[in-house]
Amino acid sequence: MDIFGVTITGYQVAFVACAGVAVGAAVGVVLMPNILRAALFLGLTLVGVAGLFVLMNAPFLAAVQIMVYVGAITTMIILAIFLSNRVMRIGFSQAIYNPILAAGAAGTMFLFLFVTVANSVWIANVVNAEPNKVDVGVEAVARALLQPYVFPFELASVLLLAVLVGAVVIAKEDP
Amino acid sequence: MQESLYGIPVSWYLTVGAMLFCIGLFGMMIRRSAIGMLLSIELMLNAANINLVAFGSYLKLPTIAGQVFTIFVITLAAAEAAIGLAIVINIYRLEQHIDADKITAMKM
Repeated sequence: MDIFGVTITGYQVAFVACAGVAVGAAVGVVLMPNILRAALFLGLTLVGVAGLFVLMNAPFLAAVQIMVYVGAITTMIILAIFLSNRVMRIGFSQAIYNPILAAGAAGTMFLFLFVTVANSVWIANVVNAEPNKVDVGVEAVARALLQPYVFPFELASVLLLAVLVGAVVIAKEDP
Repeated sequence: MQESLYGIPVSWYLTVGAMLFCIGLFGMMIRRSAIGMLLSIELMLNAANINLVAFGSYLKLPTIAGQVFTIFVITLAAAEAAIGLAIVINIYRLEQHIDADKITAMKM
């Protein structure tokens, strides 16, 4: 498809759509006065990021993102909001600190990052190999998790067990 | 590094990651409620994930390490959210609010 002499592929359209959903919903997350709506916008952001993962040849990661982030973490946050429901009735001006100063700081940070990204020159050809010869599908993820990264993988399971016990102990009625 | 994947240069992903990170940073600075801060932290973690996967996929020989690291980051984010929300619920039960500025029980 040609628009004003610039060729636009379907992948680029998909990228712009996913990135637009992610960034637009992220703005909603930080600016919604009602914290419940902010949490729902976070779910939308995570779906947009999952779309970006698909475009980056990581379909398994997109599925994990949808199941763990959208399915579990967002639900958990919404449950916590319901359990502390007085925060839902706070007006915007009482809910935030000075936004102008914060926007200046975050904007400066973004400007710095953007200039760095725009001026970076990536090394094009270190190895003489055909691109895209390495499989990056589900099987490759499984092999990587159980061969070179098996120690952090097991460590993560210990961490999850500790979190399971810790969360129950902290949130228990009688301390 | 590959020039582009499906016609998309790597700098586009890095820019989206920078945008999400700075929006999360902004939210972290303006929110008063502890749950709002947790939401902003999730945004920043996602920005880091985008960068990890982008660099993993755009190498001349694509590596799986970027995806594996992202899986660990997602695991840690789930753990952090569970513990953080447990603390928030406990604080709410003790003080009837979750305003991060007014939680001073452990201050000297």
